[in-house]
Amino acid sequence: MENAFKREARKQYLHFFRIWFILVGIVAVVTIVAVTAKNMLRTTGERRNTQAPAERVYDYADVLTDAEEDRLRELIAEKEAGIGCDLVLVTMRQPVEGSEAREAYGYRYTDWERNMQDIADDFYDNHFYGYNAPYGDGALILDNWYEGQSGTHLSTSGRIFDRFGNLEIDRAVTKVDQYIESDPYKAYSACIDYITDVMSGKKTEFWSVLSLLTLFAPIVAAGVFIGTHLRSKEGKNTTTATTYIEGGRPVMNLQRDDFVRKHVSQRRIQTSSSSGSGGSGGRGGAHVSSGGHSHGGGSHRR
Amino acid sequence: MIFKCKNCGGNSVYSPEKKMMYCPFCESEKSDERQYEHAQMQTCPNCGGEVTYTEHTSALQCPYCDHYIIFDERIEGAYAPGRIIPFKLGREKVKELIRNKFRKCTFAPTDFLSEARLNTIAGEYIPFWMFDYNTRCQFQGEGVKRRVWVAGNIEYTESSYFRVVRDMSIAFQGIPADASIKMPDGIMDLLEPYDYGELVPFRPEYMSGFMGEKYNMAAEMIESRAHAKMESSAAAMLQQSINGYSSLTPANRSITAPSPGTEFDLLPVWVYRYTYKDKEYPFYVNGQTGKIIGTTPISKAKVWAYGATLWACLTAVTAMIGIMIM
Repeated sequence: MENAFKREARKQYLHFFRIWFILVGIVAVVTIVAVTAKNMLRTTGERRNTQAPAERVYDYADVLTDAEEDRLRELIAEKEAGIGCDLVLVTMRQPVEGSEAREAYGYRYTDWERNMQDIADDFYDNHFYGYNAPYGDGALILDNWYEGQSGTHLSTSGRIFDRFGNLEIDRAVTKVDQYIESDPYKAYSACIDYITDVMSGKKTEFWSVLSLLTLFAPIVAAGVFIGTHLRSKEGKNTTTATTYIEGGRPVMNLQRDDFVRKHVSQRRIQTSSSSGSGGSGGRGGAHVSSGGHSHGGGSHRR
Repeated sequence: MIFKCKNCGGNSVYSPEKKMMYCPFCESEKSDERQYEHAQMQTCPNCGGEVTYTEHTSALQCPYCDHYIIFDERIEGAYAPGRIIPFKLGREKVKELIRNKFRKCTFAPTDFLSEARLNTIAGEYIPFWMFDYNTRCQFQGEGVKRRVWVAGNIEYTESSYFRVVRDMSIAFQGIPADASIKMPDGIMDLLEPYDYGELVPFRPEYMSGFMGEKYNMAAEMIESRAHAKMESSAAAMLQQSINGYSSLTPANRSITAPSPGTEFDLLPVWVYRYTYKDKEYPFYVNGQTGKIIGTTPISKAKVWAYGATLWACLTAVTAMIGIMIM
C-alpha cells in the first residue's frame, strides 16, 4: 500500500510540473541555440583607424613594471577587440595646477581639473585615437602621480562618450582610486574591466535588475505558490437572512418615512497648487577639446 | 430491527440513487421485511456478535456481519422523529464530490483521495431540532439624507431629517440546531441549508444502510442557538428595509418572538474521517445538497518538494533568459 501511494505521489508530482519541465527544456534548447548563434555571429568589426599608433600604455610616471605594462597591453588588446573601442592609459608625474605650471607647460588654465581634462583630451586627439576613425570611439585614462596634485581623469570619446554618464565615469575613476595606492596595475586593469563591462552591457541597470530578478523572483514566486496552496478554508456560510423565512420575505405592518426638517451648510473649498521638476541623463562631462573634438569625462583628485 | 431481503435473506438498505429499499446482494428492489423488532441492543440480532453503541445511538452497522441494525426504542415514543430528509446522495456520488473539491489541494497527503480511504465514509442521520418563530421587529428613529454639491468655490451640504418607523412580522420556519453532542455546532451550521421541500414523514426504512442518533438533548437546551440565528436574520431584514439614509439614529428598536414551535427531524450527513500523523481530519458532506465542510491536512514533504521544484524551475528559466539577453 505504501509503495502504491509513493508511486501515486511521484505520478502527481510529475503531472503537476509537466508544463514547467517542458518549459525549462524549451528555454534550455532556445538558450543553447541563441548563445551558439550569438557566438558565431559575434563580430566587432575591423579596426578602421590606421593613423593612431599601436601603443596603448604610456607609463611616463614609471609606476608599472615592464611585465605589468605588457600584461596591460595584452588586456587592452583583448578588450578593444571585444567592444570596438580604443583604450589608452597614460601615467605622468608633472604639476598641473597654478600659474607656474601654466607658464611652464603652456596650460590654458591654472586649475587642476581643467588642465587634466585638456591633457587627456589633447593626448587622445594628438595621437588620433579612435577605433573606428581618428578622434572616434575610445577612452583615455590619465593618471597623474605628481606629489600633492595626484589624481585620475577619464576622457571619453565617440561611443564611450555617448554611453558614459556621470555615474559611469565616477564609477570607472573610483576603480582606480580603490587600488592605486597598493597596486597600480590592479587599479588600471579594474578601470579597463569596468569600461569594457559597461560597453558590453554587463554593468547596465537593466542587468542589475535582471540579476536581482533571477535571484529573488523565484523565491517570492515559490513563497506565494506555497502560501496560496496552504490556505485552506473549512467552508463558507451559504445561508442568507431569508433562508428560513416563510415565503422568503417579511410582512411589513407599518413603514413610514416622514420628512421633519432640512438644513443646508456651506464651506469654502481651499485650493492648492504644486509643481515639480526632474530629469537627468546623458553624456557625462560633455565638452569640446582644444582641438575642437567632442569629449566627455571626469576626474578624481587624490 | 433489521431489514432483510425476502428473496435472499441479505440486508436490505435504502438506496439514495434508487430512492427505495434495495438488496445489494440479489439486487432485488422493495423486497425488504422487518425482522428482529425490539431485539436486545447488546448483540447483533442477525449474527449474535457484540455491538458497541453509545447512549444516543439509534442505528449502527454490525462490525461482524455488516448488517445495519436500528434500535426500535430509540426511534419510537419520545424519540420518534417527526420528519426526515432521506439521503439523496449515495456513497459513490459523495466520493466523486470529495475528489472534485479537493483535487486541486496540491499539498494534501497522497492517500487523502485514495479509493481505500474514501471507502471509509459513513452516512449518518443527525438529530436536529427545528424551531419556528413568529418574530416581530419594530423600529423608530431619525434618518438623515445628505446631498452635497459645489457651486464656484463653495461646497454645499443639504441634510434632510426624517422620522423613520418600521413594524414588520417575520415567520421563521425550521431554523435548525443539531441535537448531537458529537457533531460540532459550527460545522453543522455551515452544512446548511437543507431543502425542506424534501422532508418526508419518518420511516425506519430510511435508516437502513446508515448510522443514526436520537436527539442527545432537549429542544430547550439548544434553543438559544436557533434564537441567535433568528435574531441575526431579523436584524438584517430590518436593516434592509431602512435604506437610502446617510445616517440612522435609533430611538427604539426591538426584535421579539414568543416561545417557538419545535419539531424533531433527522437530516443526512456523510462523514469522512481521515487520519494523518495521528490527527483526525473530519469532513462532513450534506447528504442532500453535497455541500462539503472540512479542512485538508498538509503534507510538509509535499510543500518542500513542490516549493523547491517551482523555485528551481523559475530560477533556471530566468537565468537562461538572462544568459540569452547577455
